[in-house]
Formats: sequence, structure tokens, C-alpha cells
Amino acid sequence: MSSPSGHISDIEAAFAASAPGIKRAAVIGGLASASGIALTATSGWLIVAASHQPVILTLLAVIVAVRTFGIARPVLRYAERVRSHDSALDLLARRRVAAYQALVPLTPARLGRRSRSGVLTTAVEDLEDLVFAKVRVVVPVLGLAIAAALTVLALGLFAPAGSIVLFTVLAAQAGVSALGRRLEIAAQADWLRARADVARTATLVTGYAAQLRGLGAGPQALGWVRDAHRSLERATRRLAAARAAGVALGHLVTGVGTIAAALVAQWAMSVGLNDAVAAVVVLAPLAVGDAFVGLPDAMGAWARARGSEARLRSLLDQPPAVADLSPGRGMESEGNSGSELELVGVAAQWRAGDSGDGTVGGKRTAYDLSPVTLRVPAGEHVVLTGANGSGKSTLLAVLARQLDPATGTYRLGGVDVTRMPLAAVRAHLAVVDDEPHIFASSLRENVRLARPDADDAAVESALRAAGLGAWLNGLADGLDTMLGTGGRGVSGGERARLALTRAHVSGRPVVLLDEPVAHLDHATAVAVLADVRRAFAGRTVIMVSHRPDGVDGFDRVVDLAELAAASL
Amino acid sequence: MRPIDPRVFQTLPEVRRIMAGLGALGVGQGLAAVAQAFAVSTVVVAVVRFGMPGAPGLLPTLVALGAVFVVRAALGALAEMYAARAGIRVSAALRERLLGRWLSQPVDRTPEPAGASTLATQGITSVEPYVARFLPALVGAVVLPVFVVATIAVLDWVSAVIVVLTVPLLPVFAALIGKATQDRTERRWRALTALSGHFLDVVRGLPTLVTYGRAERQADSIRSVSEAHRAATVRTLRVAFLSSAALELLATISVAIVAVTVGLRLTYGTMDLAPGLACILLAPEAYWPIRRVGTEYHAAADGVAALGSVLDELGNAVDPTTAGSPLPSSGRLGSTATITSTRPSPRPAQGSSTDTITGSCAVLNGVTYHYPRAERAVLDTVSVRLPAAGLVTITGPSGVGKTTLLELLAGLREPTSGSVAAPEAHLVSQRPLLITGSIRDNVTLGVDNAPNDDALWATLDEVGLGSDLRGLPDGLDSPLGDDGFGLSAGQRARLALARASLSDAPLILLDEPTAHLDERSAALAHNVIRALARTRTVVVVTHRPDLVDLADARLELGGDHV
Repeated sequence: MSSPSGHISDIEAAFAASAPGIKRAAVIGGLASASGIALTATSGWLIVAASHQPVILTLLAVIVAVRTFGIARPVLRYAERVRSHDSALDLLARRRVAAYQALVPLTPARLGRRSRSGVLTTAVEDLEDLVFAKVRVVVPVLGLAIAAALTVLALGLFAPAGSIVLFTVLAAQAGVSALGRRLEIAAQADWLRARADVARTATLVTGYAAQLRGLGAGPQALGWVRDAHRSLERATRRLAAARAAGVALGHLVTGVGTIAAALVAQWAMSVGLNDAVAAVVVLAPLAVGDAFVGLPDAMGAWARARGSEARLRSLLDQPPAVADLSPGRGMESEGNSGSELELVGVAAQWRAGDSGDGTVGGKRTAYDLSPVTLRVPAGEHVVLTGANGSGKSTLLAVLARQLDPATGTYRLGGVDVTRMPLAAVRAHLAVVDDEPHIFASSLRENVRLARPDADDAAVESALRAAGLGAWLNGLADGLDTMLGTGGRGVSGGERARLALTRAHVSGRPVVLLDEPVAHLDHATAVAVLADVRRAFAGRTVIMVSHRPDGVDGFDRVVDLAELAAASL
Repeated sequence: MRPIDPRVFQTLPEVRRIMAGLGALGVGQGLAAVAQAFAVSTVVVAVVRFGMPGAPGLLPTLVALGAVFVVRAALGALAEMYAARAGIRVSAALRERLLGRWLSQPVDRTPEPAGASTLATQGITSVEPYVARFLPALVGAVVLPVFVVATIAVLDWVSAVIVVLTVPLLPVFAALIGKATQDRTERRWRALTALSGHFLDVVRGLPTLVTYGRAERQADSIRSVSEAHRAATVRTLRVAFLSSAALELLATISVAIVAVTVGLRLTYGTMDLAPGLACILLAPEAYWPIRRVGTEYHAAADGVAALGSVLDELGNAVDPTTAGSPLPSSGRLGSTATITSTRPSPRPAQGSSTDTITGSCAVLNGVTYHYPRAERAVLDTVSVRLPAAGLVTITGPSGVGKTTLLELLAGLREPTSGSVAAPEAHLVSQRPLLITGSIRDNVTLGVDNAPNDDALWATLDEVGLGSDLRGLPDGLDSPLGDDGFGLSAGQRARLALARASLSDAPLILLDEPTAHLDERSAALAHNVIRALARTRTVVVVTHRPDLVDLADARLELGGDHV
């Protein structure tokens, strides 16, 4: 278990870990851009100098320079690209570990109350966005700064006045980029919202195509998608206008810069500047302008990374929902007497100022779970029901030691759980939630994660107990069948049963089920629950359900609203 | 990868116009690039030859230069906006067609939900960079080099020959490098996909790992897998970037050859400064459009793959005659179905249109249905004739195909053999669909002409939901969470009934509408169902004897399937 200070350092590492390789890549990229600018400059010099029909020998040095810069640019660019990706992936590896370690103590109570896997997927994407922004932003911006400084210095050696013009042009280009970034940020929020809306409606329509059709709501559903597309088109137009403004201003700055440079070069020639250098002065703003071409994209990536960082921070910057005693501080011995569960006046809330998902007609109370007193003897099968907002899932989270009680006492086997190490309490409890994850691994490993020392016989008997016997018989590769991403697909019923298999094989005496059949049809739900009762005979089962399907065989049905009223 | 799938033009005719627009902008930008090279070289000559005989005047050349940059700025901005909009237009059109198809074809022809939803969201979104970036690059690669070479040829045929000889080397080189590295890249790609998915897999499984105390030790595996991913990716990228580096090198060397030959001829006095300078400024414009195609290729590859899948989906609109399997009908008409009429079906208050044509609302004729991977048929030669109005109940043991029968009547499934003739139906499934939105949105789902508030409240009162909802602060505009979060099972069932009675479908299909309700709510719901059946055909799958008692006709499925 990570200590609170470990948690904070993990969060910092998830954001602040840096990769020196990226700066090195930016330097190489800067040299590549400088070579490109130098290529244009030396070519111009060569041509103008050659037009005076000098002895060819005098041009050899410039010809060599043209060739060197011509070869250097692609070679350096190649080195920059390989190095920057290498460093970014290295950084990604380190930040992933840090972010993961920061997520562990927040799981699951701080991941939101519904669709946690969606929250986690977004976190993974945000982290990637954030790290790759380094390649897309730091490398081009820092590289350009280096190339610009080199160009200004080099030109200053030959034509100080031209160098001043070039510096002004560069400053203006930087200003255009900064403006582009601001416009981009202003337009991006709407655009991302519109994009998410399109994804949401498209997912809804895809997921419920049959039901929508059955209701005759197909045209209506297409109307939602069309509306979402229209707002996306509007938002895209705004975003593209921001981009376009950056592109247009960039061209205009180059144009004005070239005109200014031409006037300055002409004046400088009148006070004795070499005409070949004058040509370089005229060409410089154009050459530098070419290097700025990719910058609007970089600004877009930068603006996007900002949003990703804010989202990721608000997720990770939360205190864990359960405090874990550091060992040796008034700790009770681990050998507790049994697995009877007892709650005395326990209330809880997910977080301050949040009392759930906004229930219709529901009243808001101070706690998500009003104080309840409940005793579940070992081996009893209990169903927890109650209207939405009555705190069923909150109660289960407290029982599962995912959430600390705000008041009251929770005893497991007669011992106050807050006085035992978190891991020791959790080792008694198997939790099955409404969206069990199937890992991209073999069936065997997917089950054994609940008890690593389980042998094949134990895994098989757990599968059969959870009602997957026939399914297992039908698998050509048996326990070696690969599941999850890239493997064999599993149905909703099979998924729920695999979660039960894990709980079964774990051998833990208390099984906590949070709406295990919420996503299943009636017939499957009834069948799964029948297997639950059979498979966990002798163990304590506490199941939260808002559906009355198939709960007949349970020992006791507890309505939370009544329980809370009785506990007052 | 084929850069352009010709099927796009048939499916989305607007792509033709978009390509024309991109082409026009490409030509415009090409002309502007040529003009800029001329303007800049003239300005340079005007500066370095200032005051010499024959030198162009500085002021007019500067004005021309300014004009060229204004045009470039305008075209650049226009191209940016046009391309972005074209990307959105195409992806929106594709998505609307695809979803339209999925909303109209039988459900068992729709791909599995996870894949379908990925294709409809990220998949189609990846078509945007293909349209907005890759296609313009492709157009530019075709148009620009031609322009540039033609212009250079007018100025200096030697340079033109050099460019003409070297430009084709780029695609040839790209193809050769691509071929040489293809095997290695593909082999690595598969390993790479597995590695890159590992972190997401572990993180999504965190709640499970935390439950079983396995979370902490995964940090090490994340570290080692990420490290392996980095090493493998960089090995792949070294090869991938090599090809673009080689192309750039080839291009710069070619430009350098032009520059050196021009320089030499200037030295010998066989060429003028102005055309020489223009050639050197123009030459790179012939190469970079081709290199840009290579750069955009990677971003576009996903889009091309997704586009192919969408076009496959849209293309497999098999005509109905080949869709059904050619199983011969066994001829055991009605062997698994018995329909018993308990009383003469009441005449509808006003004759419905279907009634006047067939005398009955819907007909199933010798219908057999096989689930795609199932061993045996769930329904075997079932024939049913439904009255034009009245309540028909369907009963039978679970797994006998009651729901399937409703879905066949609703047109959601196509019979494997036999035929179904049914009017537009309104099917209320076992878990009625409730969407995130207001109560009004939900109750008018599938209702073509939404009635006014008074009528909505009247309907809600009929199902006994009015009093529950009237207390809400926002009335009909009060929000419902997804899946009807905030309503009890009974309230959901009643909302679904209200929705059914608002729909103008002549055939209402209800799948276990009162299974989750207590006696009192069920009785109320049964009254509503009975009332609905006065003017329409209502088919109900139910286990409730009290509802079966109310039926005008009963259909029992089963017997030999138990």
C-alpha cells in the first residue's frame, strides 16, 4: 500500500517527470531547421555571387556549404524524429507507472459512481496526449527558437541591419503563434464538447439500434446524430477559422518582412553591403517563414494538452477514499475470529458536496448513506434494495472497504475495520461490480488473478460453479483460450459469470455483489442469480439490486429506506 | 493501400465536389507558389542590381510581392477552412448513412456492438484527416509538380530536365523502401499493438485488481511492458522515418544539382540572374508536395481502413431474395403454435388502413427462425394471423422464442424461411429504452408528431404516472439519467406504456410489460393495455394470468421446445 506522501509524489511524477532526451532532440531539430534556412541563404548567395562571373574556385567554399546544409538537414531531421519519439516513449513509460500508482489508492471510490472504465480510458488517453504534446510542442517550438537564434546571429555577422529586420520578423511570427494558440484554446472547448456529443449519440444509436427501431424512433435518433453533426460543423468552422487566421497571418508577416528586408538591404548596399549578402537578407524572412509552417499544428496540440492535463489533475488530485493505517500504530492482530459483518450507525458519503447523481424527486440528504445499523451473520445471503438515492451502492462500498464510514463503526469478525490494515480486511471480501473487466490474457489467468496459487482443477471447478461449465466445454483451447482485446469475445452473461468465478476461486468468505445483473436480460439475470445462490452456499453474500428478478432464494431482503428509518 | 476507394464516389456523391474544390484550391496555391518564386527572385534582382541598366524598379516589384503574399495568405486560409469542413462533412455523411443503415436492416446483420460503436465513432472520425489532409496533399502532389516543371521549362530547359528526371525517383524510391521494410514493419506492428494495449487493459481492470490485492505488483509489469513497447516502437520508427529522410535527401540533392548547374552557367555568363534565381526558388516546390503525401500517409492509413469498413457495411445491402437461407419449409404449419380465440374480436372503432386491405393486422406464414450460430431453430414453421384490433397474449416457457416472435413482427429480424407481413409496429422491450434527456424526450421517443403538454399529461395520467411527475420542479423538462436513472421499475414500465399509446403505430408489441410490477401497478397497467387494444392490435408476451384473462386471443408457444 502506498502511504499518503507516496501518493502525492506519484501524482507529481505523473505530471512533472521530464525527459532530458526531448530537449536534446529539440536541439537537433533546431540544427535541422537552421540547416534548411542556411541552405536557402547559401544558395542565394551562390547564385548572386556567380552572376558576377568570378573564377569558379572562389565559389567552391559556398558550393561545399550548399551541399553540406543540403545533406545535414534530412540527416539531422531523421535523428531528431527518432530521438524525440524515443524520449517521449521513455517519458510515457515513467509517467504511466507514476499515474498508475497514483490511481491505485483512488480505485474504485474516486473514479466516479458510474462507468468507471470510461473514466479510466479517458485518463489513459489524457496521459498519452500530455506526453506526446512534448514531441508535438516542445520539439518544434524549442527547435525553432534555436534555429531562429542561430540565424539572427549568423546574419548579424554579415549584415547587422538585416539581422534586426529578421529578429523583428521572428518576434512577429512568435506573436502570431501565441495568438493562434489563444484562438485555438477559445475554440477548442466547444469543439471537444461537440465531438464528445457526436460520439455519445453515435454510441447510443449503435448500442440501441434494435430498440430504437422497435419504437419507431429511428428517424428521431438519426435527427440527434444530425444535430450533433451540425454543432460539430459549426465548432469545426470556428476552430478552422482560428487555424486559418494563424496561417494567413504567418504568410502576411513573411510578406511584410520580405518587403522590409528588401528596403533595408537596398539601403545597406548604398552604404557598401556586398550584393550577395543583400540577397541573403532579402531571402531570410522567407526561409525562416518556411520553418514556421508546422507551428499552427503545434499550437493546436498545446491547447489540447492543456485540457488533458486539467482533466487528469482533477482525477488524480483527490485524497484516497479509505485511510490505511500505517503498520504498527494501534493495529489489531490480523487473526480475527470470523466474518460476521456488523454496522453500527454507519453513514457515508462519496465526497463533500456531492450526494449522488441527481435523483428525480429524491431529497438530498447530508450523507449519501444515512446512518444504518445492520448485522449480517456469516453465511447469510442478503439482498439490499431501495429506491435510487437510498445509498445501496454507498453501503456496499463501505462494506467493501472502498469508502471510509463518515460516522459509526464497521466491524468485521468483531474487530473495527479501521483498526486493521486495509489489505487484511479486503482479503476477506470478494467484490463483483456491474462492469467486471476481462483482461487480454488466457481464461486461466483471468480467473487466477483472484488466487494466484489456484491450480487448473480449482479454476475449472470455480468455472463450473459459476455456471460456465458448458461454455468451458465448448472452448477448443480450454483454459488457454485467450480472452479480452484481440481474444475471444464474451457475452454480458459470460462476463458476469467470469466475475463470479473469480469471487468463487478466491475462497474469500464474504462476497459483495453490486448490481451484478444490471446489464443482463431477465432470463439470463434469473439464471445467473440462481448460480450465485448455489455457488456461494456457506459464504456470506450481500447483493445490491434495484431489480427484484430472481431474489426469491435469498435469506433476507433489506430495504435500505426502511433500514435507515429504523436506525434513526 | 489504395489512396482513393472508387466506391466513395458512388456512396457519397458529394465527395466529387469536395475533390473538385480541393483541386481548385490546389491549383490556386500552385499558381501562387510559382508567382511567389517569381516575385521574390525579381525583388532580389531589383535589390542587387539597383540603379543598374535593365534592372527592375524596386517599388513595383515590392508591390507585386505584397500582392502575391496577400493572395497566398487568402488561399492558405481558405484551404485550411475548406479542408477542415470537408473532413467534417464527409465523416458526418458517412456516419449518418452508416447509422441509417443499422437502424433499418435486420439486427442480426449488424456487426457486434463493440466493433460497431468503435467504427461509428473513432473509425469514422479517422476519415477526417484522410479527407482534410491526405486528399489535399494528394491533389497537390499531382498538380504542383506539373505546374512547377512547366514554369521552369519556360525559364531554363536544363533545370527542367533535371527536375523531370529526379521527381519520378521520389515515388519509386518510396515504393522500394516501403517494399523492403514492409515485412519487418508488419511483423512488428502486431507485437506493438499488443504492447500498447497493455496499459489500457491493466488500468481498465484496476477495480478488479484492487479487489483481489493484485494492483500494486502490476506497476512493475507496466514498467517493463512500456519499456518493451518503447524499444519495439523505436525500432519500427527507425525504419519508417528512414524512408521520409531518404526522400528529403533525394529532394535536397536534386535541388542542389539545379543550384550548382545554374551557378556554373551564371559564372560562364550563359544565363541571367533573374531566371536562375527563379529556378532555384521554384525547384523545391516540385518535390515537397510529393514528400508531403508520404508524411500524411500515416495519419491517413487509419482513415482509409475505416472508410473501407464503412463502405463494406454500406455495400452489403444484399437484396432480400438472397438474404434468407434457402432452407426448405417443412410444411408443419402451426405445429408449435396454437391460437385460441376466447371471444369474437371487437371491431375497431374506425377501420384502420391495414384492415381494409387484408382483413387482419399482421400475418406470419410458416415462419422459421434460426439465430446465426444456434444449432436449432428457435421458431419452427409458425403461422399466425393477428386481428386488426384486440389484445393477443403470447405465453410459453422461457427460451421458446416469444421475444423473437415479437422482433420478427417488428421487422427487427428476418425469418430464416417463411414470410412476415406486418404494419409499422411499436415494440416495448423487456427493459424499455430510456435515454439521457428530459421526461418529454423519453415519452415522445418514437412519436412522430409530439402532442402538446396537455395531451402528454393526459397520457401520463392514464398510465398513473401523472401524479408522480407533477411534483417535479421542471415538469416534463425534468432530466432523466441514462437508462432511466431516477425512476423505479414500475415508473419505467408505465412511461413505456405512455409512449406506446402516444405512438400512432397500428401494432403494439409488449414484452413482459408488467413482470417487475407489484399487483396494484400491474392492474393499472393492464387497464391501459386493455384500452390500447380497443383501437389497435396489441400483442403481449406475459407470464401474468390476470393479463392473459383479459386477452381476446391467446397464443401458446412451446411444447416440443421445452
